[in-house]
Amino acid sequence: MCVGLSARVVSVKDGTALIDASGAKREVSADLLEELEPGDYVMVHAGVAIAKITQSDEEEYDDVMESVI
Amino acid sequence: MNDSVKTAKDIVTSYSGRKLRIMEVCGTHTHEIFRLGIRKLLPENVELISGPGCPVCVTPVGFIDEACWLALEKNCVICTFGDLIRVPGTEMSLAGARSEGAQIKPVYSPLDAVDYARENPDKQVVFLAVGFETTTPSACLAAETAKKEGLENFSLLTANKTMPNAYAALEGSADAFLYPGHVNAITGTQICEELKEKGVSGVVAGFTAGELLTALAVILKLSESGEPFFKNCYPRVVKAEGNPAAQKLIEKVMQPCDSEWRGLGVIPMSGMELREGYAAFDARKKYDMPVIKGKPNPACRCGDVLQGKCKPSDCKVFGKVCTPEHPVGACMVSGEGACSAYYQYN
Repeated sequence: MCVGLSARVVSVKDGTALIDASGAKREVSADLLEELEPGDYVMVHAGVAIAKITQSDEEEYDDVMESVI
Repeated sequence: MNDSVKTAKDIVTSYSGRKLRIMEVCGTHTHEIFRLGIRKLLPENVELISGPGCPVCVTPVGFIDEACWLALEKNCVICTFGDLIRVPGTEMSLAGARSEGAQIKPVYSPLDAVDYARENPDKQVVFLAVGFETTTPSACLAAETAKKEGLENFSLLTANKTMPNAYAALEGSADAFLYPGHVNAITGTQICEELKEKGVSGVVAGFTAGELLTALAVILKLSESGEPFFKNCYPRVVKAEGNPAAQKLIEKVMQPCDSEWRGLGVIPMSGMELREGYAAFDARKKYDMPVIKGKPNPACRCGDVLQGKCKPSDCKVFGKVCTPEHPVGACMVSGEGACSAYYQYN
């Protein structure tokens, strides 16, 4: 139940976003994220988009490791 | 492999410092660490222990009994995350209740349960609201939607939990925590900073192989100083402020309450219940539910597993009487449970 799903936003209308997760599409609530636009990537939990994904995983690895070495 | 991840892997595999116990709090972390083979990379002086971060696993037996009571005595349709259906109650699981005629409906989202209630006005629908800060906003959205629409046939049986006080209850269980990334996506990182001030170390971790190796490497590097530390290793999703809209919604719909955790007992103010303004959607109040106290199977050591006091394989029923097909405890039922992970991957 707790598994997050990263997905691309296809469209947003009336607080609902159509998302594409590796080809699987479904509607989720977009009520908890402001300024969500098609093309954004989001983390989805239990039918609700809870966070925007703001950079690639590779950029993240580099930033985190640079900060501690 | 990305150069930074390769560096992280080298730090992890070559670690020769003091012995460290690292608790992965999130059940999905437990599973991904097993599935990706990360445990096999760890030197002997780094021990990973599984914590109480699987919401199904920490939900007490009495909650299942309450759900069975609503299903069998009040003829409610129970909508639930699928993981809960086979969790044993005192007398039976929800699957057992279904075999006695109860209507149990697995759903992906609490909002799907609201849709079902709207489409079936002749049925009384109860959603089983379990989960941590990650899942609580969706339950609150369901309550808010039902209230706005005036749905009189929808309610929630709540067992939502929050992590901050659980960390306090786990004090001393580990040298550092892998904090659950998606909980922090909602709450932000202030709580982690406060824990650092109290001497509790940890990092927020993501879920890919690279993110988990990076997070473990950061723990090993920052542990060298001997000082408490905190680092957000999942910044592409977790922001310092978290999700303010979700926090505001939770604050509006729910309030903190004491809550029973399987294995940890009652932890003060570690749960969430519906506020008085949403009492019409609180199944306990709506159906005047009596106090129902569950009795866990005494042979099951899920409670010790959840506190890192023993490994699943130390439990005498693990893999023998207790298997994913015939679970005795919640940790074997849920796909995120530590016992399930040990059974699948060891």
